[in-house]
Amino acid sequence: MTWLTWPYAAIAASIAIPALLILYFLKLRRRDVEVSTTLLWKKAIQDLQANAPFQKLRRNILLILQLLVLGGLLAALGQPQIKGQTVTGARHVILLDRSASMSAMDEEERGEKVSRLDAAKKQAIALVESLREGGLFDKDKADQAMVIAFDSQAEIRQQLTSDKDALKRAIEAVTPTETPTAIEEAIRLAKAQQQKRKVEGVEVEGLTSDVPFTMHIYSDGCIPDAGKAAPGPEDKVEFHRVGTSEAANVAIVGMRAERSFDNPNRLSVYVSMENNQTLARSVDVELIVDGQGAGIKTTTLPAASTDGLTLSAPEAARAAAQENATRAAAGVAAPDEAPRNLVRPTPGVGGAVFSLERGAGAIVQVRLRDPGSGTPLTGDVLALDDSGWLVVPPAKRLAIAVVSPSKNLFLLTALQGLPLSRLSELSPPQFQQKALDGTLGEYDVFILDGWLPPGAKKPLPVAPAAPTGTPGAETPAAAAPADDVKPEDLLPPGRYLIIGDVPLRLGQTPSGIKDLGFGEVSSIVDWRRDHPLLRSVNLDGLDIAKSRKVEIESGSPAAVLASSDTGPIILDASTAEIRSVIIPFEVAESDWPFNVSFVVFMASATGYLADDAGTGATGRLIQPGSVLSDRIPSGAADISVKPPVGDAQKLQAAADGRVVFGPLTRSGVYNVSWKGASGPTDFQDDEGRATRFYAANLFDTRESDVAASERVELASKVLIAESEGSAVADRRLWPWLLLAALAIVMLEWFVYNRKVHV
Amino acid sequence: MLKTANPTRPKGIDDLLTSELIAKLDPLDLSSKKVFFGKLKGERRSKKRGQSVEFADHRPYSIGDDTRHIDWNIYARLDQLFMKLFLEEEDLSLQLIIDCSASSDCGEPSKFLFMQKAIMALGYVGLVNLNRVGAAAMGEAPGSLLSAVRDLRGRRRVHELASWVCSLEPGGDFSFKEAAERIAMTRRGKGLMLVFSDFFFKEGFEEGLRRLVGHGYDVYVIQVLSPQEIEPPLTGDLRLKDMEDLDTAEVTISAPLLKRYKANLAAYCQQLAAFCARREMTHMTVRSDTPIDVLILDYLRKRGIVK
Repeated sequence: MTWLTWPYAAIAASIAIPALLILYFLKLRRRDVEVSTTLLWKKAIQDLQANAPFQKLRRNILLILQLLVLGGLLAALGQPQIKGQTVTGARHVILLDRSASMSAMDEEERGEKVSRLDAAKKQAIALVESLREGGLFDKDKADQAMVIAFDSQAEIRQQLTSDKDALKRAIEAVTPTETPTAIEEAIRLAKAQQQKRKVEGVEVEGLTSDVPFTMHIYSDGCIPDAGKAAPGPEDKVEFHRVGTSEAANVAIVGMRAERSFDNPNRLSVYVSMENNQTLARSVDVELIVDGQGAGIKTTTLPAASTDGLTLSAPEAARAAAQENATRAAAGVAAPDEAPRNLVRPTPGVGGAVFSLERGAGAIVQVRLRDPGSGTPLTGDVLALDDSGWLVVPPAKRLAIAVVSPSKNLFLLTALQGLPLSRLSELSPPQFQQKALDGTLGEYDVFILDGWLPPGAKKPLPVAPAAPTGTPGAETPAAAAPADDVKPEDLLPPGRYLIIGDVPLRLGQTPSGIKDLGFGEVSSIVDWRRDHPLLRSVNLDGLDIAKSRKVEIESGSPAAVLASSDTGPIILDASTAEIRSVIIPFEVAESDWPFNVSFVVFMASATGYLADDAGTGATGRLIQPGSVLSDRIPSGAADISVKPPVGDAQKLQAAADGRVVFGPLTRSGVYNVSWKGASGPTDFQDDEGRATRFYAANLFDTRESDVAASERVELASKVLIAESEGSAVADRRLWPWLLLAALAIVMLEWFVYNRKVHV
Repeated sequence: MLKTANPTRPKGIDDLLTSELIAKLDPLDLSSKKVFFGKLKGERRSKKRGQSVEFADHRPYSIGDDTRHIDWNIYARLDQLFMKLFLEEEDLSLQLIIDCSASSDCGEPSKFLFMQKAIMALGYVGLVNLNRVGAAAMGEAPGSLLSAVRDLRGRRRVHELASWVCSLEPGGDFSFKEAAERIAMTRRGKGLMLVFSDFFFKEGFEEGLRRLVGHGYDVYVIQVLSPQEIEPPLTGDLRLKDMEDLDTAEVTISAPLLKRYKANLAAYCQQLAAFCARREMTHMTVRSDTPIDVLILDYLRKRGIVK
């Protein structure tokens, strides 16, 4: 029982009860009646008193009834509420998981399957109902709550409020997304709402000057980043689990398409799948290319296993003891069932490979079906990870232009061995002319051999040091001297392999690379063997006769891929517009062209640089929850994006042609279309409208392993799922008290009449 | 019960005795269960041997006897002197006592007026039959005796009695015991005594009645109650004020209380009746709304006061 406004009731009682008593005493001033004698009356009174032990009570029954009425009214003024379980703490944060796994249909409501999110919303609304309401007079005393929906990002759906309707509306409005789960941001977002407590003027992290939060996490417990989330030490965190731990799911967790190196028309689609059931399961994997069925394969996925993860006996005992301690701390009774295996089983992994001849670009969809029937998987709680999409660009060989003031035989020989669609030699003026004409798009990669546009060689003008004594006197614009480089002299946007020279600017931005001139003989010391560019390249024993000495400034976009004893010799420098691999030394001045690794490097470098253009076999894969961000050719107009569900939306491109859409909430195929020039891999229709496709897939092992977890290990505490139905809506008692007061008034009227009408 | 708002006070004999009542009273005479010695020669047979015409007894002559009463016939036959004794006829003393306390002056019709009328009627019966009629009013006065008239005899005294009755003004409180003592001390002879009162005495009626009885009087206790005393028409929360001693009782009228009151009243009357019965007094409770002729001709005749 909680009293919402007990001070009001107490004040009113301190006035009203004495007032009633005084009134009652005043009421005792009776009507005077002269009688012949009071003898018999006194005797009658005495007799009555002697005969009735409760005479005193009876005598004042009206007073007692009035006191009861008054008591009822005063108690009603105090606005008592009863609830089955007290929700402690006046500030609640409702963290509602809306990630992909929350779409699993393994909750039941009235015999019908509902999604976990619906069940979570119902529980959250029950919690909202159970919040203590403010009284009629002071709304401040009410419990407040905040609604945060989170998937891979978190979003405040409702700020702290005591308005239950607003909270319920906010909860109802949460829709499922198809993104992975990340709770850390949600908890940080909640913590950001708290005012930090200051100790001696210094804010102390984790301590709040407000009431600590009670955080209610409504989730299925599949939260991979739970270990990063650290709620404040004063905050209480309750984990309300939805979903069942027996939920079965088969999921596509990865897809890849590859074109064969020698025959680009041969397309292989690899599908990897997982099965979290403890039974092996056969599924049909259906391949759909551009909406047409292209193949079907039956695969048996092995059962999920705990083999590799079985704990040793002492470890298991320790883990169980720790869990029991946590349960005791959380006030949750230990379940009756036998101790569960504390480790999640490792899903059974399987795969399927499709090979097909297809030179053109395609949208490839793979979906899982029940074997033989072609119907969606039965008993599979999460449908959204049963299909996956890929955007396969057309089989296109690279077009490469070598821009060099002089013929480089080594380079051309190496490139001629590659399966290219086009290899051109351009002189620097030709390149500049093409840049002016805007026809650089004909080539995927430019190799700038010993030449750079003049502007790229000029360092950015440096502002002179401000004279001391007049700090901040000049504006930055006034401080920077005029840039005398013409735009056409700069490196235009594109992909470059720069050999034998170092650009100081990449487009307008400084490259952050310092050219210290030619150095001495050097040999390679180290290279990044894990980088895709150098994965299959062996640079051992490479000697360089004449190399430029290069230094990288801090904050530079350049990354060192290989370094010699004098400094970096292979750099990867990319900005928003320009992607480049820089080799500062002259190839001809080294023994590299004689090494087989040179040819391999050229192949992988051009492939690596062109990969971003979508010529790789699997480009433009996005996971829901992340942002679709890409560059489209400049000059595009009327840009729109069409998500898999819903209407197309208009987009505005940034100055450099970058479009941003998202974060994406749905998996499927997104297309961005525009009017204007198309990129090398874009589809262009007759009306001059270019379209670029993106595939959004969940492809998340943790998210697809939908078995609900009973414990969530946060950084600072371990949460055990609360037993269900903990929130009991509070019942307002004061209307009942008012009713009782009314009933007593009627009883009093009856008693009074009984007394008076003899 | 309730004080009479505008009490009607009798102005004269016409207010007390109507001619119809007189006509009904004229044939009546007082009687007593006991035979008393009278003071004067009256119309009542006395225990005394006297000079009436009714022979009573003989007794031997002794020296000094009135020779006029010697029965000479017996002397002639027996040659002995015998005195002839006759029954003496004497008057009857009627003592009427009225309660003049404030409490008498209440009720509708007024108890006091009722008592006045009853006294006047009985006094009239007494006077016309040549009885000695005395009356006393108990009231707030030294000795608790307000006033009294004595030894009225004969029809001519009726007006005197009437004017005395009319002169009575109720009010105040008195001690019944004290009043009874005074009445007992100043009694004349023996005879009937009728006490009209409500007998609501805080000090108790026993002491007073004990003083009245045992002095040769045939005491009749007539308790007059108003209808309002028998059925109190009261409701609500009241402060009852005793009009005699200004004592108050705070009551909240309720059904059980009224029931209790009535039971108490019945018990009180019963107690008075029992007390009187034990002491050879005749008790009677009348309502003040009883017609006087009913009282005299019915109730009192039944009890042998009048015949």
